[in-house]
Amino acid sequence: MLDFISDSLVIGLTEHAPLVLASIGFALLYRLTGLINVAYSETVTLGAYFGMWINTSFGFNFYATLIPAGLIAGLLSVGTYFAVFRPAKKLNVGALEMIIISFGLSIFLRHGLQFIWGYPVRFYDVPPPDTFRILGTGVSSFRLLALISVGVLALILYWFIQRSSFGLRIRALASDEDLAQASGIRPLFVTVLIWFIAGVAGGLAGAFYGVGSSVAPLLGWRQFLFILLVVLVGGSRGLGGVIITGIATGVALAAMSLQFGQVLYAQLALITAFVVILKWRSRRVAETAKV
Amino acid sequence: MNLDWLDAFLISGLFSVVIIIGLGLLLHLQLGLARIANFGVVGFFGIGMYAFGVMFVKVDWPFSEVWAFFISLAFGTLVAGLSGLLVGWLIADLDEDGVLVGTLGFATAVLILATTEQDLTGGALGLGGLKFPYDIGSVKANEFLWLIIVTTVVALILLYVGRVHRSPYGRLLIAVGANEPLARSLGKPAFRTKLWLFAVGSAGMGLLGALFGVMVRFLDISNLGIDVTLAAMVALVLGGTARVWGAVIGGFLTIGLFEIVVQSYIPFPQGWYGQAIPVVRQMVFGATLIVVLLFRPLGILGDMRRDKLMRSMHGG
Amino acid sequence: MVAEAKEQQPPAARPQIKVEKAVKSFSGRVVVDIDELVLGDQPIEGLIGPNGAGKTTLMRMIMHSTPLDQGTVTLYPSGINGEGIVLSALPTHRMARHGVVKSNQVIMDFDKLTILDSLLLAVAQHKYEQPQRIFDEKRVYDESAARIHEYLEFFAFGDPTQFAGSAGEKKLLDIVRCLLLEPRFLLLDEPTAGLPEELTEKVMQLIRDLAATGTAVVIVEHDLSVIWNLSNEVHFMAEGNVVMRGSPQEIRKNKTVIEKYLGEGHV
Repeated sequence: MLDFISDSLVIGLTEHAPLVLASIGFALLYRLTGLINVAYSETVTLGAYFGMWINTSFGFNFYATLIPAGLIAGLLSVGTYFAVFRPAKKLNVGALEMIIISFGLSIFLRHGLQFIWGYPVRFYDVPPPDTFRILGTGVSSFRLLALISVGVLALILYWFIQRSSFGLRIRALASDEDLAQASGIRPLFVTVLIWFIAGVAGGLAGAFYGVGSSVAPLLGWRQFLFILLVVLVGGSRGLGGVIITGIATGVALAAMSLQFGQVLYAQLALITAFVVILKWRSRRVAETAKV
Repeated sequence: MNLDWLDAFLISGLFSVVIIIGLGLLLHLQLGLARIANFGVVGFFGIGMYAFGVMFVKVDWPFSEVWAFFISLAFGTLVAGLSGLLVGWLIADLDEDGVLVGTLGFATAVLILATTEQDLTGGALGLGGLKFPYDIGSVKANEFLWLIIVTTVVALILLYVGRVHRSPYGRLLIAVGANEPLARSLGKPAFRTKLWLFAVGSAGMGLLGALFGVMVRFLDISNLGIDVTLAAMVALVLGGTARVWGAVIGGFLTIGLFEIVVQSYIPFPQGWYGQAIPVVRQMVFGATLIVVLLFRPLGILGDMRRDKLMRSMHGG
Repeated sequence: MVAEAKEQQPPAARPQIKVEKAVKSFSGRVVVDIDELVLGDQPIEGLIGPNGAGKTTLMRMIMHSTPLDQGTVTLYPSGINGEGIVLSALPTHRMARHGVVKSNQVIMDFDKLTILDSLLLAVAQHKYEQPQRIFDEKRVYDESAARIHEYLEFFAFGDPTQFAGSAGEKKLLDIVRCLLLEPRFLLLDEPTAGLPEELTEKVMQLIRDLAATGTAVVIVEHDLSVIWNLSNEVHFMAEGNVVMRGSPQEIRKNKTVIEKYLGEGHV
């Protein structure tokens, strides 16, 4: 029993650490711009591909690839804002249409990436990792370092948004655009910053996903549903809630995978549980009456 | 029957178009009228396909194959309808975000179950043994007849959708989509309306899935990807979300363009068909969704014209 | 005066609504806090009070489109001594079936529906609005066309197959939709706001006719001449509670009301 718990904890934390990072980026966009951006999953994929490309083409160390991978994903994110979401907002596109647009963008980018890097699954070229034993569970050095890096990055992001003066501006803009503008905040700059940070978080998560297993066009999309669930369920309690829900999700996935001997069943159980939570919560949330 | 004039690619191309039009028409009731974005079209399509296939192939039927076929078909439709009821119940009082999660989650769940339950579905290897409920000669002749049958089914769906626009039910759907709180205050049970809309729409999608399975005769999980949802959505959005004929026109312009025109009539190098063209197709579809929704949100046909419709029904 | 009214109206004719211990607050601010309030004693009752007194919220609480923090709202279809139906335990869409109907303060419309659509929607019974009933349009229309056209002509609507254009037209449409539901207890939230004088007259006439046939009407209105004109009784609301009730004459004379709400020279 104790083994099971420690295994779940260690595997859950190390294997699913990128989920936390990806969820933070998505939550930033969702909470601060109100947008459910399906195409966010493609910043994750791009991060994985670009890091892999730098790593295999130029022989860069994995950690050195993180910087360009994060930067390019951030730039893609900002690019989608200027190319699609900003015009859409100016054209007063409705919330429903906005989701479909981001879905279309996601499909477009995903296959664009596939066009560039081809269909076969690709791998990072990294030396075989050493294995550590933590609480009796074997963990590769990569996963361990990934966990530490994700933890550090998550903390930096959390601090940046919740504590720094930039974060204050970002949150001010999200809560009241006019007021923020009146008090001297440049909305465009701050908005671009949000999109950039979100993209960087997504790209880094993708790089960790990629080095942990493999790189494929569907990498980001396969994670999207879980990112979405974590953010919708945990997001109502701020970034902290997202982080905690993300961690809990990772541990639960690992525990159930061990229990069922099948990752897919764990995913199924998790999807069901989250949708039921959303349903149950919707019944309690007071509707804002219009009639 | 001499079918030399008919290209086998044309049959399968037209079949894809017809199936996607059918899905697009059902999606129209949800997205165009009630304004619910169902991102799980492929889930309902897939569950109908697999429920039919498993029932037909795996059960040792004591009576003739034709009976087994129709019982399995009804079963597939029913299972899809019931899952629609369940998903509808989950999402009917959620906002757009919740609907996205619920429908996408359902489609993922179907994919997961089709993969894990190998004993039933064949998992990643696939499930063979499906056949037409008749045999009139060559493969081509059988497929051609099936195309005609499925086209008839989709034509009936088109007829149904047209009637919905001209009935109190369609008006209720539009009202719930346009202003749900107001509809409720007029005594309209919005929740139940959405529930049944999902049940009926999903049953139809499941039926189409089963009919599709018969044509391909081999079910594998690659049919359960997001491509089906995307195709139905892009067809509907391009043609006109709010119009009866939107999915029909959009279906020909999107799937028809790629599955018929590009496939049979444009001499691309042979190597392109396997890899490059499907990828380009998806990119074009994705871009189409973006461009149409940005610059002509209601598609080619534009907004529904209730004023014209009312004049033609009750004017004078 | 109250005794007189009771004699005129046969008992158990008019439905009444009782609001008990009802509290509603939005983000910590108490908007409505009513210990006990009975509506429907008189055929037409006015509800007045300064902005933010909780009038609209109270009406929404009765419709249960705003959930109550605590307390109950009960409908007594045949007067307060008869059997009660707890409205605050029912979803909004069940109100219409019990005859409780409300018109909206802000303009509410179904964008894509024409005037005729909107009215047919209101009259259509639910049994006709099922997925399998796709041939019933004519039946619904034939059943109600006469009633619908009566209203259309009364208010001199334009072509009903067109969309409601002006704000006034939408406002009227909202009221007609309510009337077509054959309300037994009608809540009107500023029904004449933005309407020209002649239409205000017509709306008032309809309300009077309706009340005369046994429907209880509660009306919130900023145009006080409408209140003085129509109401048999006036409730004065302030800070989430009914602080005073009486005949229009009594309320008009009251100092508190004048200070808090009407302002000198307004009466």
